[in-house]
Amino acid sequence: MANMIMASSKPLSPPSLSSPATSRPRISLPKFPKLPNTQLLSLKSLSLAATAAATSLTLAPPSLAEEIEKAALFDFNLTLPIIMVQFLILMVALDKIYFTPLGKFMDDRDAAIKEKLSGVKDTSGEVKQLEEQAAAVMRAARAEISAALNKMKKETQVEVEKKLAEGRKKVDAERQEALAQLEKQKEDTIKALDSQIDALSQDIVKKVLSL
Amino acid sequence: MNVLLCSINTLKGLYDISGVEVGQHLYWKIGGFQVHAQVLITSWVVIAILLGSSIIAVRNPQTIPTDGQNFFEYVLEFIRDVSRTQIGEEYGPWVPFIGTMFLFIFVSNWSGALLPWKIIQLPHGELAAPTNDINTTVALALLTSVAYFYAGLTKKGLGYFGKYIQPTPILLPINILEDFTKPLSLSFRLFGNILADELVVVVLVSLVPLVVPIPVMFLGLFTSGIQALIFATLAAAYIGESMEGHH
Repeated sequence: MANMIMASSKPLSPPSLSSPATSRPRISLPKFPKLPNTQLLSLKSLSLAATAAATSLTLAPPSLAEEIEKAALFDFNLTLPIIMVQFLILMVALDKIYFTPLGKFMDDRDAAIKEKLSGVKDTSGEVKQLEEQAAAVMRAARAEISAALNKMKKETQVEVEKKLAEGRKKVDAERQEALAQLEKQKEDTIKALDSQIDALSQDIVKKVLSL
Repeated sequence: MNVLLCSINTLKGLYDISGVEVGQHLYWKIGGFQVHAQVLITSWVVIAILLGSSIIAVRNPQTIPTDGQNFFEYVLEFIRDVSRTQIGEEYGPWVPFIGTMFLFIFVSNWSGALLPWKIIQLPHGELAAPTNDINTTVALALLTSVAYFYAGLTKKGLGYFGKYIQPTPILLPINILEDFTKPLSLSFRLFGNILADELVVVVLVSLVPLVVPIPVMFLGLFTSGIQALIFATLAAAYIGESMEGHH
């Protein structure tokens, strides 16, 4: 097409030298009607220009004419089926090395990410469960400790009471013993006094009877 | 005469440097048939770029993607998204077709704009985007037609042809015509856009070889991407349309 543009524009520009010469006589004809020489001259130059244009068309781009004839925009031939086959081969090859492997890889990755995400959600539930478990363990431990404390308290109290009772018994026994001793001493004293009383009464009786 | 020829020759030289040759092909003969060699060569380069880059990027996929892998994952997501919106939930088996269609056209178009093909001189014709040739676009469009027929027939069996008389039997001719207009419009849209884009750039470069063509070049890049997306989206839409159930 550009060749056609070339073909149409090229002869136009070079004869532009002579084209004013061809147009001038027409305008100047009424002004200088008595100058046939110039007209002749211009005619000559016109024919010259025409031949020049003609030669330029045929000579300048020698191969142009046949090229334009051969120029085929809508030239269907074996290229078409070859391109078809090439396209199909390219499709299979791209499918094997690009679409299927990368697509599968991307899908797998998506699935893995989704799985991991849902896994994270699950562990949050697990964490809650674990927390509850920990709380339960703590509660149980606290209960155990308080129970142990109570038990210990009771035990110590019992022990203390036992010791107290023991002490009391001991004290009681000692008191009893002391009382018994006191009693004995009293009786002894009384006995001694009794014997003295006998002697005394004898004395008294003697004294009195001796009268 | 001499001056004229001289100037013509210099002009021709200028045009040869910056010119585009449309409809000029480098012919090879394969088994008595002619092929457009420049289209095949550039399509091989495009295929090599696609295969090589995807092999390098996807060779060893990482869980945390590296740069190249990230880009290819983005592209795959994009293709899947296009397929899903057009085809529906059963888009899986069609991802390779739609994706290859998109990538091949996209890389072809951009290779025409970005790769300096013209450094390599051919005896006839010139290297350009493979989508610059009607053979390529028609081949892709026909493959799309085959694909949607295949999709419909595998999904619904012969009941697929019931869609021709679907709203009313009166529309039968129009419905049949649609099967011809679809590949026609697909191929000519792509072909026309890419060819026109390259032509506009070349003509502008030959007229004003400074600054002015740059915005047009960027527009060309944009158009190329859009055309690839349109082609892939329409292919997916046709496939989805032939797979969807009627009421």
